[in-house]
Amino acid sequence: MTAPTTTDRDLTEGPVTDDGGRPAARRFGVLVVAAAVVVGLLLGYAGGLLTPKLTRPGDASAEAGFARDMTSHHAQAVAMGLIAFQRGTDPEVVSIGGDIATGQQGEIGTMQTWLRSWGLDPSGSQPRMAWMPDGEDTVRDGLMPGMATPEELAKLRAAQGRELDVLFLELMIRHHIGGIHMIDGVLDVSDQPDVVRTARTMKNTQQTDLTNLRAALDRLKG
Amino acid sequence: MSISTPGGPERRPTVVTTGKKPAAGRPTPGAKAGDGKSTGAGPRPAAGGKGKGPRKPIAPVKVSQGRSWGPIALFVAVGVLAASIIGYGAWAAFQGSKPWEKRAAGIDGVVDYREKEPELVKGGNHQQGAVKYTVTPPVAGPHNAAWQNCMGDVYDAPIANEHAVHSLEHGTVWIAYRPDLPADQVTKLKSKVQGQEKMMLSPYEGLDKPISLQAWGYQLKVDNADDSRIDEFIKTLRVNASVEGPTALCSGGITATGTTPRDGNQMPTQ
Repeated sequence: MTAPTTTDRDLTEGPVTDDGGRPAARRFGVLVVAAAVVVGLLLGYAGGLLTPKLTRPGDASAEAGFARDMTSHHAQAVAMGLIAFQRGTDPEVVSIGGDIATGQQGEIGTMQTWLRSWGLDPSGSQPRMAWMPDGEDTVRDGLMPGMATPEELAKLRAAQGRELDVLFLELMIRHHIGGIHMIDGVLDVSDQPDVVRTARTMKNTQQTDLTNLRAALDRLKG
Repeated sequence: MSISTPGGPERRPTVVTTGKKPAAGRPTPGAKAGDGKSTGAGPRPAAGGKGKGPRKPIAPVKVSQGRSWGPIALFVAVGVLAASIIGYGAWAAFQGSKPWEKRAAGIDGVVDYREKEPELVKGGNHQQGAVKYTVTPPVAGPHNAAWQNCMGDVYDAPIANEHAVHSLEHGTVWIAYRPDLPADQVTKLKSKVQGQEKMMLSPYEGLDKPISLQAWGYQLKVDNADDSRIDEFIKTLRVNASVEGPTALCSGGITATGTTPRDGNQMPTQ
């Protein structure tokens, strides 16, 4: 009884233990490879986490400056566009006003989403326009190129009829020229794909707007 | 069975007599079998023996495997070092972009009403007429349907709380100053506000400190316009503190001053 059992055991164990050394070595090798794979994956993961943090635009970057300052610039265009949309008399002024207000409000959302995805605040630490060469010199009382003064906005709010239409067109033409200047500024320095693509779209839109705004102004004045 | 039985005994002696080297693997199970005593349980441990087997046969294994320990140790050391360097870098990068709530809590002297009065800060129902606020200047709560225009507006006279609170809800930082604040300090505050949407400045009667900053749910009172916490408050909370997100409007609001809220047709005429 005991004999068969022991031999039986010997049998089952024989092959196992005999190869014991080699599987152990193999197992050990597998462990090393597994560990190497795990370490490699961890390094890759850490690198992957870190790389976008290091390569995405920083707090003082031109891209972040553009996103913040263009948001402010756009916000004023939205304000003026809504006035034209709500109280304009000329049908083209009404439609252009609505188009500019909704279009630029949408672009504000795009730019604010960049900032959030870059882990940045909507407010910067740099002075306005500091991201553009000689940009700070273009700021007057906190207003960036082309922006209407509080007095001009008060005048637009108070205006009626044809006067409002003409004033809106004049202010918006100047606003767009300033806006395109800023867009060119970021296109000169940035190769961030999202920023470049959106900036080009903005420029196209505003250049087309300018043609139509000028034609409308000529028509109303002529 | 019959074939293997002869083989068994043959091997066994070799194990015992030849000494440790070739037998190395074998005494282990033998010892285990002895430990286990019950032969019935024997076969099962044999399976378990696979796991334990490698431990005992150190002698032969050690010779062949010993060589690779050096490189392995080196590899592990380098790996751990690299992982910790990259890990530290990642950690540092994450620390650098702490959420604004944590940074706000770190501003010395800031009062967080989100924590103190969560009900007040939840959101704002529109309410006509005068609203009684427990915090002065108010930081949240019900407010007028019309917001105070907050396109970087600089008001030279007090404005209505009921409109101002609506502006806060839209993400504005409202800087209120005591009317006796020296003109040069008012000018400094003005430069922080002008041309910047989601900012507004107004005098405020009866402030207990010269300057009080409000964002939705947050307040900070300071003595001087040069206080660096003012910029910190603006950077951290402007737009961020809004419960309505970055596209809430600041234009099209009330541009008039006066502490009585304006109901009715003020908004439609822009």
